[in-house]
Order: sequence, then structure tokens, then C-alpha cells
Amino acid sequence: MASEVEVTIVTVRDIFQDEAGRKSRFSDEYKNLSALIILDKQDLIRLDVKDGQRLLVKNEVGSVVVAARTSEDEAHPGLAFMYNSPWSNQIVSDAVCESSIPGNKRIKATLSAAEEDITQISEIQARMQT
Amino acid sequence: MAICTGCSLLCEDIVAALKDGSFSHVKNLCRKGHGHFQAAFTERTVPMIDKEQVDQDRAIAKAAEILRNAKSPLLYGWSNSTLEAQAAGIKLAEKLGATIDDTSSFCQGILMERILSGKIPTCTLDDVRNFADISIFWGSDPSSSHPRHLSRFSYYPRGEKRQKSYEEERTCIVVDVRKSATARLCSNYYFRVAPGGDGEFMEAILAVLEGKIPKVGDKKKMIELSSVLKKTEWGVIFPGLGMIYSLQDKMELFERLLAKLNEITTFKVIPMVGHYNMRGFNELMREKTGFINRVSFKGGAPVHGPEYSVTATARTCDAALVIGSDPLSALPFGTARALARLPLIAIDPRRSLTTDAAKVVIPSALSGLEAGGTAARMDGVKIKFEPIIDTKLLSDEQIITRIMEAI
Ligand code: SF4
Repeated sequence: MASEVEVTIVTVRDIFQDEAGRKSRFSDEYKNLSALIILDKQDLIRLDVKDGQRLLVKNEVGSVVVAARTSEDEAHPGLAFMYNSPWSNQIVSDAVCESSIPGNKRIKATLSAAEEDITQISEIQARMQT
Repeated sequence: MAICTGCSLLCEDIVAALKDGSFSHVKNLCRKGHGHFQAAFTERTVPMIDKEQVDQDRAIAKAAEILRNAKSPLLYGWSNSTLEAQAAGIKLAEKLGATIDDTSSFCQGILMERILSGKIPTCTLDDVRNFADISIFWGSDPSSSHPRHLSRFSYYPRGEKRQKSYEEERTCIVVDVRKSATARLCSNYYFRVAPGGDGEFMEAILAVLEGKIPKVGDKKKMIELSSVLKKTEWGVIFPGLGMIYSLQDKMELFERLLAKLNEITTFKVIPMVGHYNMRGFNELMREKTGFINRVSFKGGAPVHGPEYSVTATARTCDAALVIGSDPLSALPFGTARALARLPLIAIDPRRSLTTDAAKVVIPSALSGLEAGGTAARMDGVKIKFEPIIDTKLLSDEQIITRIMEAI
């Protein structure tokens, strides 16, 4: 068991989350389908957290609190997935190569169990104004 | 029949019946398209200045004033607007000496540039339906992003030369970092790559095609892949952001792979463009300026470069107009924050993080539902559409034209 686990996060798409975002960016449905991190079973065990528990995802760009979700994929310890959303964008750096493509597909971050609530969309909006 | 502008497939066979201000019946829409249509009835924007509701004319006048007074304005978005609105936008950028950029700048732009300049061979989706026996979804997941791709074009339909279709004549291959919804469907030919490992995987394919031992991947599976590729009669690769972000500045590897595949058989490429008219903007910009995106008209003549991308310009411009896009949701936090601090004009049918942060909000009609026009599908085929809902709201094109007149 470790209090912190390092992972590489790749942002991906999901049709259910996409549909919810089209209907409203401010709904609980969109938050519940977006504020997630999909982890390998082994990483959940290492963090001693269960599916649905809150995790702080943190790197040099920023931090965000989201819910842990167990991956149904083949084993991928150390590799995590988040859906493209304002939540995942809290930890995406601006530009990493000559083509000015942002680094959505290889985000290094540290995970730990969180005391705080899931980050609200209003908090993300407030962060942009500071 | 209506057109769905929910993604760049621009499905033309949508049946929608309206009753009492909502859809009583819809046919042929996928889940994503359904969400897109439902959006016509939820969280619509109203004209605003500094969060106070105003009339439309005042909002347009204020937008014109902000742009007129700006020294280096940025005009961004465009991929969810019609070709007619995009053409008006390019004129506005010229008039203002502004920077203009669209979502392709951090999306399919580097591949689209190669497609439009003829460096990479392409075809239409109708060719795919009629001739393709192999479709490779590389870093793309149409079941999530373009839900009717497989049923309309690449896997299930019976085409001119593919009457036996997916039962006997079509195979889908998926290369991805995860077992996506599409990969689960084509699990016999799913190849998992490590994040950033797409270039290595391309080198491994090149090696097996040349009869060498690949450095990555299961050797038996790679040899099987090589034999499938060699037997292909008419193949097509559909790259998604997964491949593009992974390759980054090594696109020449992809060009090498295509050259090799085309020595053996026929292989084409169609980028999995997300927004319904991103390709239209790239084509129009190329025709008018010689560049597909990231253009500045500051000195009069158009100049292009990474310094004119939205991610770079968000920090250097002194005002921004965002149309049909929600960069505050979709872009990395640093860029979103830089945009949020600017005098921001948002033209959008619906409330978003961007409209919430804007100094001026101008509501627009939803293209395809409330406004007509023309758009380029992901393969470049132009699709014309008429509105199916009456509205008093102005179209993007009308709003841009009114701003231009006011300036
Ligand atoms: S596939 Fe795309 S264009 Fe077709 S119905 Fe779905 S969202 Fe609309």
C-alpha cells in the first residue's frame, strides 16, 4: 500500500459523457461522467482505495479531485485514463512539441486518496478568473 | 430529412418531427446526435454584456467596439460554423488585421495539412463503403466519436464491391492504447500500443512488411498483421488524436508507412475530424491564404506559424472572439485561463464555460437545426443543409456580417 502513486494519464473519449456534455456542461450527469479517473485494479490496491472513492490528481500544472473507477481493460498498471473535460484539463500542460500540440496523451501525475469533495465546475470556473 | 451537425459525418438521413417546442419523434440519430439535437432546447444563451441581459443589437455593437479598439485580436473557433460563416470570419480577420485559428490547431491540423497538399493519399467515405476491405482505426474510436461510421461506411454496409460486407469481406483493425468500444468490437485485430508508442509500432509494421523481425509487439501477431496488410485489396486508415498526439513531430514516419503500403496495394487516409466543419475551415483558409490555420493578418498579408496558434495567441492577444466553440472546457487549463482573462466575445447557441466568462455573449441559431448553410464532411464532400426549426435567432454568418458592418 502506498499513499501516493505515480501514473501516466491518457485522455480519451466516451459517448455517454459526450452526450451529457452536449446537453449541459453544468449538470450533475456531466460532472459524474467527467470527474473520473479509470485505473488498473493493481493501482487501486496500491492506493488502498475502492471504486468510487475520491482521489486527488496532482502535477506541476494543477490538481483536481475526481472519483476512482476500476478499469475493465486488460492489465495496465501505471497507466490511467480520464475523459476529455474541464476536469482532465486541470492537469494538461499547454504545449509540448514544435507542432504546439498540448500534452493530453501523456500526462504525468501523482494520485492520493482525497478528503475533499469532487471538484465542482464552479470551482474550475473560479480558478480561471484568478 | 434533416442533417445532423453532431460530428463530421454530417448524417443526411435524420427524420425529426417537432411538437410543442420539442422533438416528438426522431429517427436515425445516434446517441451523440440525439444529445446534439436535444441541446436545441436546453441552456440557450441570451445576449449579454458584463453578465447583464441586453438586446441583440447592443451586444453586436459592443462586440464591434471591442474588436475595433483591440490592437491584436484573436478570432477563434469556426469548426462548428458553416462555410459561409467561415468565409465571413476570414474577411473579418483581414479587415481587423487579426489572428485567426480554429480547433484543428490542436487537433487534426498537422495531418489535414498533408491531406490537403496531396502528400498523403485520401478518398471519400463513399469510396470506403464501396471498395474498402480493411479499415484501420488508429488512435481513433468511432463507436464513441463518430457512432455511425461503422454502420454507414466502414464495416457493416454492403458496397459496390463489398456485397458480403462485414460477414466475409470487411475487416477492422484497431491500434490504440486501450481496449476502446471499437477495439472490443474488432478484438481479433486489436493492437495495444504504449502511450507515445505509435511511432515504434509503425517502425515494427515497416519491418515485418520487409520480412524483418519487429522490435515491438507480439511477433506472431505482427506477422499475421503483415499478411493481412499484404492481402488487402483496398485499405483505409482513419487516424484519430491518439495517433497524432503520439507521433507529434514525427509525421514523416506515417508518410513512410503509407508509401510502403502503397507499394504493395492501395491504402488511403481519412482523418477522424471531430467538429462538423473543421475540414471546411481548413480548405477555405488554404484557398484564401495558402495556410490551413494559425494565420495572422497583422501586417496585411497572411502569415502563418505556431506563434499564431490559439495556445500561443491566448497570451499575446488583447481581445478574443470565440465562435461555436468552448475552449474554456476543451483546452488545457493555462490556455483556458489566459482566454478567460481577456475581453471575450462568445457567439454560441448554448451556455458554456466560455459564454459564462465572456464580456459579450451573442446567441446564435444552431446550424443544421435552425440555420442552413454548407459544410465539408470529414472526407471533404460538401453537404448543403436547410434549417428544420423556425427561429428569430441570427446565424453565425449573419452575426459576423453585422459585426463587420458595425466596425
Ligand atoms: S454519427 Fe455524427 S452526424 Fe451521424 S447522427 Fe451521430 S453525431 Fe450525428
